[in-house]
Amino acid sequence: MNKDNIEVEKSDIKIINTGCCHDCGGRCTLKAHVKDGKIIRFETDNGEDPQLRACLRGRAYRQKVYHPDRLKYPMRRIGERGEGRFERISWDEALDIVANKMKEIKEKYGNSSILFVPGAGNQGMLHGVTPVGLMLNQFGGYTRMWGAPSYEGALFASMATYGTMMTGSTREDLFNSKLIIMWGWNPANTIWDPGTPLMLAKAREKGIKIINIDPIFTDSAAVLAGQWIPIRPGTDTAMLSAMAYVIITENLQDQNFIDKYTVGYDKYKAYIMGQADGIPKTPQWAEEITKVPAETIINLAREYATNKPAALMAGWGPARTALGEQYSRAANVLCTITGNIGINGGYASGFMRAYYSRESVRSTSKKKTGPIKQEEKKEIEKKPTPRGNPIDFRAPPRKDALHKLRGGTNPASTRIHFNEYYDAILQGRKGGYPADLKMAYIAAENRLNQYSNVNKGIKALKSLEFIVIHEQFMTPTAKFADILLPVNTFMERNDIAVPWLGSPYYIYLNKAIDSLYESKSDLEICKELSKKLGIEPGLLNLPEDQILRIFTSPRKDIKSYDEMKRDGFYKVKVDETFVAFKEQIADPENNPFPTLSGKIEIYCEHIAELDIPNMPPIPKYLSHEEHYDAPLAKKYPLQLLTTHNKRRTHSSISMIPWLEEVEPHMVWINPVDAELRRIEHGDLVDIFNDRGRVRIPANVTERVIPGAVVVYQGAWYNPNEEGVDVGGCGNVLTKDSRSPGGAFPMNSALVQVELYSKKESEGSS
Amino acid sequence: MKQIGFYFDQTRCTGCYTCSVACKDWNDIDAGPENWMRIITIEKGKFPDLSLAYLAVACNHCADPSCVKACPTNAIIKRESDGIVVVDQELCLGKEECGAKCLKACPWDAPQFNSESNAKMRKCDLCVERLEKGQQTICVEACPMYALDVGTMEQLRQKYGSNTQAIGFQNNKKIKPSIIYKSKL
Repeated sequence: MNKDNIEVEKSDIKIINTGCCHDCGGRCTLKAHVKDGKIIRFETDNGEDPQLRACLRGRAYRQKVYHPDRLKYPMRRIGERGEGRFERISWDEALDIVANKMKEIKEKYGNSSILFVPGAGNQGMLHGVTPVGLMLNQFGGYTRMWGAPSYEGALFASMATYGTMMTGSTREDLFNSKLIIMWGWNPANTIWDPGTPLMLAKAREKGIKIINIDPIFTDSAAVLAGQWIPIRPGTDTAMLSAMAYVIITENLQDQNFIDKYTVGYDKYKAYIMGQADGIPKTPQWAEEITKVPAETIINLAREYATNKPAALMAGWGPARTALGEQYSRAANVLCTITGNIGINGGYASGFMRAYYSRESVRSTSKKKTGPIKQEEKKEIEKKPTPRGNPIDFRAPPRKDALHKLRGGTNPASTRIHFNEYYDAILQGRKGGYPADLKMAYIAAENRLNQYSNVNKGIKALKSLEFIVIHEQFMTPTAKFADILLPVNTFMERNDIAVPWLGSPYYIYLNKAIDSLYESKSDLEICKELSKKLGIEPGLLNLPEDQILRIFTSPRKDIKSYDEMKRDGFYKVKVDETFVAFKEQIADPENNPFPTLSGKIEIYCEHIAELDIPNMPPIPKYLSHEEHYDAPLAKKYPLQLLTTHNKRRTHSSISMIPWLEEVEPHMVWINPVDAELRRIEHGDLVDIFNDRGRVRIPANVTERVIPGAVVVYQGAWYNPNEEGVDVGGCGNVLTKDSRSPGGAFPMNSALVQVELYSKKESEGSS
Repeated sequence: MKQIGFYFDQTRCTGCYTCSVACKDWNDIDAGPENWMRIITIEKGKFPDLSLAYLAVACNHCADPSCVKACPTNAIIKRESDGIVVVDQELCLGKEECGAKCLKACPWDAPQFNSESNAKMRKCDLCVERLEKGQQTICVEACPMYALDVGTMEQLRQKYGSNTQAIGFQNNKKIKPSIIYKSKL
């Protein structure tokens, strides 16, 4: 261990500078106090500002590392898939089985039958999915999937409108705003890079008005904002359209900005005024749909248009819906027509990434298409580590991707959308998918739990010939493995975490303790497995530190790798407040927007060319088959939300007792809906639809709009004998489909709720 | 007499529990009934007119602590040097044997017991070891919202004024809690 990164406190306690790399909205500093090879407690950043203070998730990590349920050795399944019965085997035997099975499947069905299921359970540069991807590339490739449940709708909209995902500003710029609108955005719980909730609180203290729009009275609505506007789930686009109506009819739009920097305003105006469909998008029209009073909509529209600069921060949650990109695009357009783009204190919404650190190593070269020539093939085979996945190589772009744009949209055609892969497994090429899938290689991913339609997922996973999983715990997904390989935690290895949304800093995770039990890092597993597969481990053969140096070498903002390693973080000095599109606005001649037209695309010609149903070239409010007004709502009248809560990071820290006690897992239901069903606080209730049934206690609370219920995502699926999930996994109820732009419908499921049993009355003590 | 106490900015607290979890980690306290730092949620109103406030409550290290008076064995000690109220585990009789007189005497449930039978009382000691080394308490350093501070009451009053009102807090002027609030009231 490098002496520099150890601060000696007492003779017997070493302090290791490390950090957190969950897939939450942070990436924060942890200082591990280690005694006799064991972490005894943590501190966080107490150095120079801005401090990267860890939240409760990181502070509780010790109980994950030392949890009694950690997987301790490699295992082979002996029961049925999903049953959870395994026997201990040696590493040698486990990797032999995996290697032989992989070779057999490759031989029999080809590489496209290998499905790589990468997850975000670890978000380091090196460990988690990276070594698995490199190994599978070397093995001849695999079938990839596309789409991120967190943000795919927002990403698509960002690309369609602005041609980039770099649409954010540094947080300090909020202080320049006269008004901040937090739309479906709850950074008090989801962090959005450390310091964001604090900046919002400081903005409010400076007298800047903050308004929050959300179906839930979130901690952000209650604490950071001064006003809460509850809205019916999935109707955000209607409200945004009505705000545009007010702005246009009252002539509050920034016409100069529109004329100079945008294309397609007239077509949007025609839609808003109802010229195309006969429905003017008036506040009264929107009130019916959104449950937001027309007067509130009018006031908000006027406030936003006349208090310039104003920041509309359109969160990703409302885009996690059946037609999610419409909402994100409508928000982007509202930012545009008010001229709030490229100026201090304004905001473009979009994907909201601000600093470039995550982008700096991405190649922006245009992807070649067409068949691979023989000599090229030889070149590719000669390289020790292929740069990409051979199965994807030269594949024509997906027909429904914004393939003419660079970056951000992943247009390769061999990919299957993440939320459709159960169907792809079950149907294969016969169902129109690009491969017949025979095995799954799963890493850092509790797949079954975190994607839609668990019961269909069970069928799909049961149908595969072989499943290998790297895991730390016996998750609902791990129970389906044939071979289960115990992986260590980020306290047991070296890694680097890049900030989640791209703030200007890095976290260096120095290894604090040796791997527990027989667990290994993903890197070690892949290195050993590569040998058994008969492939060159290449990069994987190098020591962790050397690989990390290679990975970070293109990042010119890291001036000193050694300082970063010593301190456990590297805070990049940024000279001035960064505001997206400042150059495009200041000097449009020399700085076109990276769209096809070079302008902000209110109307997107590229989308028009794709000509896909439910994906109009201007953002529109559209209904769908699980919307509140769909026929299905007669049977299942409640709208389910499966948002983030304050104590989990997806499903990866669900088992930590310190976090479990923070907030019991219950379904949030408004008293109006509870009374109708004779449900009282604490009663055990069933939440169900045609896809499945979940049974958890009810939290009868005013904090959710009537007509909606909330099952916070990340609780572990745990079926009883009848197949009812008593663990409370919301994805038992969500639909395994996607929007045309790739958005995941995790907040678009219709359900019914009924009383299962009354709360046991507490006896007097 | 020097008195160290807490400052809590209720307008900033998002109820994230980071202080509480950091306290449990630092002091190695299991999940369960023993909570040296408690978060109280105060919800009011009917949809859509709602208000929500959080109150972080540790031990108020009162100037005239009722727990000290209630303890039959003088196990609870108010330190002369800084006014921090600490417990002598050796002298504490245990929850069942004594009947938790300290807990009954405290208006804010500062005395805490784990789930073991006849558990000895433990509570927030203001990270006295850290303070003596010139460090801040673990909760103050943990709070992502910078809503907590610890210092002498003089320092705190200078920095933050002398308000002792907050949503969910009932003051007790007789025992003089060492706490200053920025209130959401």
